[in-house]
Amino acid sequence: MYKQKNVVLNHWLPPFPMVRRGRFLCSETSKFFNQKQTPTHRPIKQVTKSNFSDSLSQLKTQISGSDFVAVSLQKTGSYSSPWHRILPFDTAEIAYLKAKYAAERFQILQFAVCPFSIRADANHYKLIAHPFNFHLFPRDELKLGMPCYSFSCQPSYIASMAKEDFDFNVCIYDGISYLSRAQETAAKHLTGNPVSSNYAVQPSTTRSVADNVFVERIKSRVRNWISACKRSDMRSEDALVSSLRRLILGGEEYGSRPSLNIDVCSERQVQLVFEMVKSHYSNVVPLAITSKGGGTQFVRVVLTSSQEDRELLKKELRNMEEEQSRRLCGFREVIDFISASQKPIVAHNLLNDFTFIHSKFLYPLPPTMDEFTSSLHSAFPDILDVNHLMKEISPLTKYSSLPAATSYLKRNFFAPIKMVIPQKGSMEESKNHGHGVVRISELFAKLCFILRILPQAEYHNPDGPSLKRYTNVFSPDSNNFQDSDEADDISIWTNNPMKISINNLVFLWGFRSGTSAGKLKNLLSKSHNLLSEDHAFDVRLVDNSCAVIVFWKDGLSEWFLDAIDSGDGLRELAAEGMMAAGYDTYKRICESEILGVDLADSLAEFDRISEAHTKEPQEVYWNSDLMINFDDL
Amino acid sequence: MNKQRLMRSFSKTLTHSHHSFSTSSSSNNFAIKNVTKSNFDSCLSDLRRHVKDADFVAIDLEMTGVTSAPWRESFEFDRYDVRYLKVKDSADKFAVVQFGVCPFRWDRSKHSFVAHPHNFYIFPRQEVGGDDGSYEFFCQTSSIDFLSKYQFDFNLCVKEGISYLSRALEDKARLQLHSVHEDELSESSCTVKDIKDLPLVRMTDILFVERMKTKISEWHDDLLLTRNGRPGRTPEDSSDSIAHFQTIFFRMRPAIKLNGFTSRQLRLIKSVVEKSFKDLAYIRVNDGSCAQQLIVYTESRSDLDLLMKEVKGIHFKEAEMKIGTAIGFRHVIDLLSSEQKLIVGHNCFLDIAHVCRKFIGPLPLNLKEFVTLVQKNFPYIIDTKILLNGNSMLQLKMKKSSTSLAKAFAIICPHIASADNMLGPAQSPSVSVEVQVDDMSWNSGAKHEAGYDAFMTGCIFAQACNLLDIDFSSHLMLMKEEKLRNYINLLYLSWTSGDIVDLKTGEATTECSAFMTFKIQQPKILFSNIVLIWGFSPTLKAKPIKETLCKVFGLTSVTSIYHLDKTAVFVQFSQPELVHDFLELKSKIEKKNEALYVLHPLSDLLEGGRTRAASYEVYKDICGSPLSKVLFADQAAAVGVDLNTKMLESKAHKNGSFDNSDIPMDTKISETEQPMKSSPGSKNLHREEILDIVSC
Repeated sequence: MYKQKNVVLNHWLPPFPMVRRGRFLCSETSKFFNQKQTPTHRPIKQVTKSNFSDSLSQLKTQISGSDFVAVSLQKTGSYSSPWHRILPFDTAEIAYLKAKYAAERFQILQFAVCPFSIRADANHYKLIAHPFNFHLFPRDELKLGMPCYSFSCQPSYIASMAKEDFDFNVCIYDGISYLSRAQETAAKHLTGNPVSSNYAVQPSTTRSVADNVFVERIKSRVRNWISACKRSDMRSEDALVSSLRRLILGGEEYGSRPSLNIDVCSERQVQLVFEMVKSHYSNVVPLAITSKGGGTQFVRVVLTSSQEDRELLKKELRNMEEEQSRRLCGFREVIDFISASQKPIVAHNLLNDFTFIHSKFLYPLPPTMDEFTSSLHSAFPDILDVNHLMKEISPLTKYSSLPAATSYLKRNFFAPIKMVIPQKGSMEESKNHGHGVVRISELFAKLCFILRILPQAEYHNPDGPSLKRYTNVFSPDSNNFQDSDEADDISIWTNNPMKISINNLVFLWGFRSGTSAGKLKNLLSKSHNLLSEDHAFDVRLVDNSCAVIVFWKDGLSEWFLDAIDSGDGLRELAAEGMMAAGYDTYKRICESEILGVDLADSLAEFDRISEAHTKEPQEVYWNSDLMINFDDL
Repeated sequence: MNKQRLMRSFSKTLTHSHHSFSTSSSSNNFAIKNVTKSNFDSCLSDLRRHVKDADFVAIDLEMTGVTSAPWRESFEFDRYDVRYLKVKDSADKFAVVQFGVCPFRWDRSKHSFVAHPHNFYIFPRQEVGGDDGSYEFFCQTSSIDFLSKYQFDFNLCVKEGISYLSRALEDKARLQLHSVHEDELSESSCTVKDIKDLPLVRMTDILFVERMKTKISEWHDDLLLTRNGRPGRTPEDSSDSIAHFQTIFFRMRPAIKLNGFTSRQLRLIKSVVEKSFKDLAYIRVNDGSCAQQLIVYTESRSDLDLLMKEVKGIHFKEAEMKIGTAIGFRHVIDLLSSEQKLIVGHNCFLDIAHVCRKFIGPLPLNLKEFVTLVQKNFPYIIDTKILLNGNSMLQLKMKKSSTSLAKAFAIICPHIASADNMLGPAQSPSVSVEVQVDDMSWNSGAKHEAGYDAFMTGCIFAQACNLLDIDFSSHLMLMKEEKLRNYINLLYLSWTSGDIVDLKTGEATTECSAFMTFKIQQPKILFSNIVLIWGFSPTLKAKPIKETLCKVFGLTSVTSIYHLDKTAVFVQFSQPELVHDFLELKSKIEKKNEALYVLHPLSDLLEGGRTRAASYEVYKDICGSPLSKVLFADQAAAVGVDLNTKMLESKAHKNGSFDNSDIPMDTKISETEQPMKSSPGSKNLHREEILDIVSC
């Protein structure tokens, strides 16, 4: 008897009416498909360094006016070795770790964004899309070693991109650079934001005598300076006098306004100056001027002529800060705008794409899936995965590629979508990249049609079919993971909905490279009585050198591991050099960040470590809680 | 390693001043032959001829990067073995995108050298084998940006670049092919048949299968009828099937060509044939470039087996051919190696490492073995940088200026580098170089490509030999030339430190010529006195660390301190025992949580509880790891797992030929094993550490 904990989607038949597309009724409707512009004619706005700021404002308008934003990425690779792909027997956590590994390794070369809306017309849905394709390159614009020191490329991936006429020169020569949110903070720290008006004024603590002396001295100095400025305003003086005055008072002009620099020796003094100015001189704006090293060099106080003038100055300063941060964050402004718009995002392969987005544009990826989802959620509250929506329609088949999913829908369903792209293309047609994002929005519209979801009616009709239940689903077999208590159950093969515990999986290696799964199965069933029964186990190859065995009976895997380790029972296999390890070892490899090229080698290495560990006496080891914090004393 | 960069910035100014010197094509630029996939084969045969005739061959490479992490750059505190590991890491991770080869031949009649500069675009496209991670490569952002500044054509490289297969991978592919082939032959044909059938889930599939079954049996019956002397049906009868079924002969057997089916339909046909027709065989053969599926009629069971054997033989041959063609650019390297020509490079240790890694096989773990590998394949290498710095006469000529490639070219070969022919001959006798390329597909060199770099290197060498009064007309081969004996097979392991490796012996020495005068002579570094500290508070700088240590171990205890990056420092103590004392004291403070230690001077350094320390050997191990994190502390934490096992093993035997540490093994690592203890608590700590450091 095997464990059958969770059968994926017991409702094979969808709970909503579906229009199954007959084989012969398409003659009339096919015009929708014919009408559809062939990909090369879809005008996708290509954005590089030179037209970035113009396109950005266009994109912002389009995002604000649209219901959804579809995104799609073109990367330099997706996995380093076959077993680094997300495999059917990976738990959600392992899938995340693998996606993290790839996201930290590879680079994004193109980021396509498509704000779109779906409107229901008489008998079809109308898709209004505004596709943009941004070319990126992580150029170190600020010479700070950011955004990335080096990245990896998967030649097969690169070569297939080349076949699709991807223009690497455009990316590398004219790609837009960026900094992640984390990097921006670091960069600001390094370069020093030259001027900052929002120095956090903390509630005053008790002042020492020295503090008071300092404040009084500054106060009188500022007072003198202000009165001098006012006096000079009244009568026009000649250039010599005004420059002399400037020399004596230490005043300067800040733009068109008079200003005075006050030297400070500590951050404490900066705070004192700010406090004093705020409480005594309403028309004076203090600015902290930072040095290259990071600390405040001096405080510059600027005199404004009136309340309005003061506001004007503050606005100017804000603009300046924005300009500065725009220069730093580059392409990330697009991400920030999408995030701020709170529009639902539509993606294909959510986990892969959003680990990339998170690590390149937000923050370094956290170690666990939970932390990742919560961090991502705070930036993008609603994310829809078309892959997941596909699962609703066809639970048993996995359509990993967009064209496969599209053609499946075309074959089986009647979903007339009329696509409208109002904008014009920006480059010659051969350079028209970024179709993925258009396909995603089209596929999404079709799925909405099939699932009878009218996206824009959603908020008016809360009882109707809703997209909400499809949002933020991360793992490939999400239905179950979302609320399953037993997160360690996985569905073992893509086309088999059976759920088994990961404890029933054993990794086997040490056979000759090139051996087929069938041969291995043969070999194993001949090796022991327990294995000779029908349906005792199944074997799949993970890569050339390693296979995974799934035991349909509980307990058999433990027996197998013991037997192959000790050599009794499975003497034959052990003698041939076969080795085995449980799922635990596999998990530890994925957690370790050192994912070798061959799974077999990594397993062997980690198996050895765990043995070494169990033999080592457990020592008292470092615990941060026990450490006394030196600052507290 | 900075060679390319320096060179380019200098030679930028040269581009405009190039005028014809004695180019055969009297253009204003150098003519350099560009070689890509499309013209590789024709170029190769020409190149074979040129290399055979050549007196020496200059090479140069352009890579996608040099260092995979900032701390992998070359430091003063790097020992020879560590330097090698850093070069190995570079050769392992980055790809070669351009390869310049320039054979130079001495023409006695013209009394000049004839050069044939070639600029090969190469790309590590995988042509054979499965999905193998060994082709993945890194790009260093700054290097790519740098290449783009000099108009490197990345599209040409990716689309038209020549692929290659290293000797090791070729052997592996052949071995696998042979074993699979033998397996196939030993298997009886019936076992092959138990391939999983496609499940007939769709209505269309079932209909299709039925229709195919009828059609195939019609054809089959027809065939038998014709055979028995009766006329078969006229083609008109089965006109609808003509598009798909076309009777041909395959190895003297009647067969149908299956055209215009989808791959799914083909699989269905295959299962129909295998299930329902005992005397028909479904086979796949390659017809020119594309695969062709056939259904072949066989006389008998034995005939069927024979056919299958024949088909397997064809497939085997095809696969072998494919491996043969996949060798690609390696033919050039094989040529250089087999001709045993004198190879000339400029500061070329990294180049040679790339050549070995990309075209021979994985690099060995230590310098000695590497040197043996190089000697075996390239017995004569000369580095123009060594030559220029090592010879006093050439030094004088260089007037102590930089020996970067472009600068050296401008000084040593002014008659080639600039148009002012008046200058050259007047000063000193100079050897002239004539460039020859065939008429097709050459570009106006001088664009700072590998081919041009190789040409410059060769010119420098030729001129340097001339200055050394080497007689090119004599029958002596250049590599046997007495005057070059002191320079041949010496390479800079690191130019900045003046570490030189002798390829004949594998010994590494530090350059000690008169030339060293303008380099600041560092006090001798004693690696056994060094302790590596990382993971401390990022605000801590070298000076306070030194002060802290001096407080504990005495004012003269610390000889020097050196920042690896912002997360790690090397500390060199005055006595080797201090390394041990420090590590011991550190673990003592950390293990006991007594208040007494809070006031200990070391507490500053250990603040935060993530400070780790280890002896120099651990640094070597960390450098040897395939991982490349940007910050050293992250790298050390991630490598921790690996290290731990190594520590356990190394208790048994000491390692490394350069190992000169006398520290007992158990103190080699003090805290590194903690983060990877498998308890959940420590695991989290380990993760936090990485996060903290990345975000700061």
